[in-house]
Amino acid sequence: MRDVAILGVGMLPFGRRDEDSLMDMLAYASLKALDDAGLGDDTVDAVYVANMGGGMLQHQASIASSLVDRLSLLPAAAETIENGPASGASAVKNGVLAIASGHYDTVLVAGGEKMREVTGWRATDFVATMTHPTAEYPYGITLPGMAGMFTRLYMEKHGVTREHLLAISLKNQEMGTRNPFAHVEMALDREGIFDSPHAVVNNPVSADPLHLYDLCPVSDGAAALVLCTVEAAKKRGKPYVVVAGFGQATDTHTLAERDDPTDLKAVSLAAQKAFAMAKLKPSDVHVAELHDAFTILEIAESEHVGFFKKGEGGKAAVAGKTRLGGQIPINLSGGLKARGHPVGATGVAQMVDIVWQLRHELPENRQVKNAQVGLTVNFGGFGNNVLCFILRRVEP
Amino acid sequence: MKDEIALTAYKCKKCGKLHYPFHDRCLECRGREFDKVKPQGNAKLLTYTAIFNLPWGFDQRFLILGVAEFQNQVKAMGQIKAESTDKLKVGMPVKPSWEPIRVQNGEDVYGLKFEPM
Repeated sequence: MRDVAILGVGMLPFGRRDEDSLMDMLAYASLKALDDAGLGDDTVDAVYVANMGGGMLQHQASIASSLVDRLSLLPAAAETIENGPASGASAVKNGVLAIASGHYDTVLVAGGEKMREVTGWRATDFVATMTHPTAEYPYGITLPGMAGMFTRLYMEKHGVTREHLLAISLKNQEMGTRNPFAHVEMALDREGIFDSPHAVVNNPVSADPLHLYDLCPVSDGAAALVLCTVEAAKKRGKPYVVVAGFGQATDTHTLAERDDPTDLKAVSLAAQKAFAMAKLKPSDVHVAELHDAFTILEIAESEHVGFFKKGEGGKAAVAGKTRLGGQIPINLSGGLKARGHPVGATGVAQMVDIVWQLRHELPENRQVKNAQVGLTVNFGGFGNNVLCFILRRVEP
Repeated sequence: MKDEIALTAYKCKKCGKLHYPFHDRCLECRGREFDKVKPQGNAKLLTYTAIFNLPWGFDQRFLILGVAEFQNQVKAMGQIKAESTDKLKVGMPVKPSWEPIRVQNGEDVYGLKFEPM
């Protein structure tokens, strides 16, 4: 197996992008990544596109074939990867394996989703199609609903409180104001959403016990990266980022069939595999992007990857240990909570943010000083298909 | 409301593990033969939520959903017959029934409902 480097990255600001089609967004993010990689006029061996909803929302299939045509990357191999909200990291994994195997030398991975051109009613239904088709979906369950049921159990078993969840909302939306790529660039006021009579109106229950500001927004957006061999990255003569390790694991489709529904086994297993491959441990990580589609998930994932013991993640967030300058800064991009969650793009966007961190390219108010190792968790379904990546900075 | 709870769980003939929904191979031992098991008795509420942003196909203000465990350990999701979550508690007994849970293509779709006891 060959080591794999990330040669270039690109991202579009997430949000409501009425002016752009899904293909526009994928193309623009890809061009940014190709330019960043210094491959502006060159081609690549293969293209992997992460997308969950093109078939349902845009009535469009074979999106990767369309992208290589649009970018004149012909005759590059092209595939679309659909793995729910974990499509992004899945596409990166396929690209990494293709280079590690020696079959390809240069791969473009692009992730994109356009969710705002349908009503919230339709978008909620689209995301809910990843629940079990007979045991869950017909009942009207949504992903926020799954998260609500999970939160209630996690609160009972591990002592998570609304105060803990609030710490995630406040931190991530504050970071969103510092990130020009974020969908939500609005800091929250504790009193306005938690401590006053107005909070009932400003922050209503959305999926009991979760409230509006515990949930990520529905977003449009795209992100891309270019993978290559380490030898090719070395030739650039400047610091670069390598994929030090990755892991993927699955769990039962329904939450009800898990022996302990609060145990996100797929997160733990994916992280254990990634750490084993990277020969690193949780305390070696300097910055992380976790899949906080719901505030409870940032807390639960921070415990399941090993940053904190079970029951300590919420307290750590309240104590500021996951803020910039803390023990392990998490979601300095604003996370899904503020950067947004165009489902197919998210896993790629998380890695783009970590690459910027490891290349030390972010402004001071978002940059972890001298960051060398970063971690991502991309959480598919309700934890039934999870990928964890560990990226590492290498000096030339 | 129908007389029978038209839900079937599957018990592995080899190791006895109970499954719902159906799996082609046992989650525990990968056995492929199962005995069909009907959920029995009342159920115990394991968790619940009220959702206020409903998916396409539900023309109502909110929906209360939960997961409950029957007396013979079958666990399943269902809609909860309540006006709010105020009186719901994890562990409380609920009475199951098989009733329309949504309308699709103009026809009722039946599924589990739980009534707090």
